[in-house]
Amino acid sequence: MSLPAHVKSGTKQPVYAFVGNPNCGKSTLFNALTGLKQKIGNYPGVTVERKVGTAYSQHGQPMTVIDLPGAYSLAARSPDEAVTRDVLLGRRTNDTEMPDRIVCIVDGSNLERNLYLVHQILDLGRPVILVVNMMDLADKAGLKVRTGQLEQELGIPVIAAEASRGKGLIELKLAMSRPDLPLPHHRWDVPAAISSAVAEIQASLQDNDQKPPLIARAEALLLLTDQDQLRVAGSQPLSDRTAAILDGWKKRWSDEGTDWSGTLVGARYDAIGTLVQDCVQTSDQTVDQSTSDKIDAVVTHGFWGWAVLGGIMTALFLSIFTLAEHPMNWIDAGTVALADGVKAAMPAGDFRDLVTDGVIAGVGGVLIFLPQILILFFFIGMLESTGYMARAAFIMDRLMSRVGLNGKSFIPLLSSYACAIPGIMATRTIEDPKDRLVTILVAPFMSCSARLPVYLLMIAALLPTGEVPLATKVGLMILMYAMGTIGAFGFAWLFKRTLLKGEPPLMIMELPPYRRPRVKDVAMQMAERAGLFLKRAGTIILAISIVLWALTTYPKSDDAINPAEQVAQSYAGQAGKLIEPVIAPLGFNWEIGIGLISSFAAREVFVSATSVVFNVEEDEEDTAPLLEALRRATWPDGRALFTPLVCFTLMVFYVFAMQCVSTLAVVKRETNSWRWPLFQVGYQTGFAWLLCLIIYQTGTALGF
Amino acid sequence: MSNPATSSLLPLCQLSAGSMGMVIELKGEGTFRQRVRELGFGESTAVKKVSGKSTIICQVNGTRIALSHDAARQIMVRPSHPPVSA
Ligand SMILES: Nc1nc2c(ncn2[C@@H]2O[C@H](COP(=O)(O)OP(=O)(O)O)[C@@H](O)[C@H]2O)c(=O)[nH]1
Ligand SMILES: [Mg+2]
Repeated sequence: MSLPAHVKSGTKQPVYAFVGNPNCGKSTLFNALTGLKQKIGNYPGVTVERKVGTAYSQHGQPMTVIDLPGAYSLAARSPDEAVTRDVLLGRRTNDTEMPDRIVCIVDGSNLERNLYLVHQILDLGRPVILVVNMMDLADKAGLKVRTGQLEQELGIPVIAAEASRGKGLIELKLAMSRPDLPLPHHRWDVPAAISSAVAEIQASLQDNDQKPPLIARAEALLLLTDQDQLRVAGSQPLSDRTAAILDGWKKRWSDEGTDWSGTLVGARYDAIGTLVQDCVQTSDQTVDQSTSDKIDAVVTHGFWGWAVLGGIMTALFLSIFTLAEHPMNWIDAGTVALADGVKAAMPAGDFRDLVTDGVIAGVGGVLIFLPQILILFFFIGMLESTGYMARAAFIMDRLMSRVGLNGKSFIPLLSSYACAIPGIMATRTIEDPKDRLVTILVAPFMSCSARLPVYLLMIAALLPTGEVPLATKVGLMILMYAMGTIGAFGFAWLFKRTLLKGEPPLMIMELPPYRRPRVKDVAMQMAERAGLFLKRAGTIILAISIVLWALTTYPKSDDAINPAEQVAQSYAGQAGKLIEPVIAPLGFNWEIGIGLISSFAAREVFVSATSVVFNVEEDEEDTAPLLEALRRATWPDGRALFTPLVCFTLMVFYVFAMQCVSTLAVVKRETNSWRWPLFQVGYQTGFAWLLCLIIYQTGTALGF
Repeated sequence: MSNPATSSLLPLCQLSAGSMGMVIELKGEGTFRQRVRELGFGESTAVKKVSGKSTIICQVNGTRIALSHDAARQIMVRPSHPPVSA
């Protein structure tokens, strides 16, 4: 049983939840209070980011602080909002304690809208501290927020703040340190039309779902507006009895023509209106939004908007492919040096090979993408913190709606050019579950940076050295990216018409005002992402690297003269031969098959796998020996293996096939079943196979 | 173009850029109506249409809200300054 914190004073570390609308300054405040004492992870079962930190009270007592995902309402529309709702209602006690106290953060320049969520939270009857943030913006808009008056009317501490400059932090800390936070007086009359229903549902929640009375009332009110009943994994379901009562009332109201949700939302806004009238003075000064409007006139313009977006995307890709080059070389040199060091220090044997060829080479091969991922997140962080990202989604909506998606799918798809994993994680803000699933299903078509080394190798192998103009190489590269992108949109279109049929959602979103980006926050976000990525490299990828190493090493043969022969009769080699009949129509032999299979660890492993298979001494930074070996490679009957056509077909295969175990694991976690990741393996790889078959057979017939 | 006082309702997408209106009625599905209301865009809210044809930006209570054309079609407003009155 959760008692208010003041009852069990000192016995347990108090738990605070930070709640507010998106962009109200929650994270800024959370970071300022907890500093680096944060733990970032996921809510089990859903890929919603879970941020928990520790702050210290005036007396040095530790306090747990949870930064909940931004929400406009407790009636959840996206998995993000569902987590916020469920944590507050104590429906996720398996992974997250029900917070004892709640800190509500509101944007002072837009009090009315922000107070809607606060109004719902006050229903919970738990101690609340209200932080009126963005006081500077409120001032600029000519609004005088009388926090003293608000405090009196609500009966809770109200703190004026400007989180970006650290104003109000001390006051908030003081309030959070109080052992005796008052409960809000929140006498609010539920509209007569629905009050008896609320009472009945409340009673049932108390009796059948064992909810404490105040939570039961809040939940009863919520159930009336929680229209799609979004449940996310890890949240406890409603009892049958309560669900039946709720359905009964809804049926009755539908017959009578009562708009219960409208009545309830309206009643809340009426109460808020009265409150705001008492507590906020507006001067006649008109809101100065001319700068924001001037920028918007350009970036949402029918032509210039696309030009700006195109320019930013070009800058993003140029940075990913040029700026990252040096740090990537350093990482590469570092892993090679480390492996050499280990080789020199350890006696030769299987264990040494496991460390150098399995662990160091495998993890290093993935770590190499860290610079690119950091650059991507730098761009995304900057675009988000300036407020531009919402505009990008806004103009992309026109394009996305053609294939039945909305603008919110843009960010996940963009991120997927670096890596599908952050891209798939970014789908959590998409409200419509079908749209979210479609976005997840097509995101891996966007050419991630792990495919880049394969494209580079194949382009080099495809075009004889020397006289190739740069334009041809770049052209081929762009063609690969374009194919993936067109594939993603095409399949999204197809899925929205067949498998996941649904009306295109009606897009409605807030455009936050333009702000100067805070480099510190962006840097912190980059550090967070890098941390998550490293953790992944240290766990899943480490494990896969070891397994792959074992598959290419065992069973040992006594008479293998060189590594190539060893690989040929290893488990991986056997698997390659096993799939040869399937891939031979595409022009691939079993040696390429080994590369394809090892690509399941990470696609770029293809390069190191082929080096092993063709018995090339791996030479840092220099693919020339490998290229020679590829040109020398033949089928048993003496035909050249890597003809230009085969190289091209192989590239196309990499564009479309689903070959990434880490992505599959994330999709499984995200969709909570193996059904969708398996479907992805099937349809993506099937499509890749079919397309490659057509290309190779047509190409051969035409004499290439 | 009859009497400006009883000027008829327009969907938000037809309101001309720069003019004000008041939300009178929301159409569409329950979930959509509720979301619009929760965003502070419910009945009797004053809106100003800032710009847009295929996608629309408007000003509601100090915030900018962006809507797709289809969403704006569901929001019926009464223009405060009917186009006839110069
Ligand atoms: N002008 C102003 N900007 C703020 C204030 N607090 C936060 N910000 C900025 O508002 C943006 C959104 O803040 P963030 O903490 O990410 O909001 P969240 O979405 O609620 O987590 C960031 O660019 C902050 O720098 C404030 O008091 N005044
Ligand atoms: Mg945040």
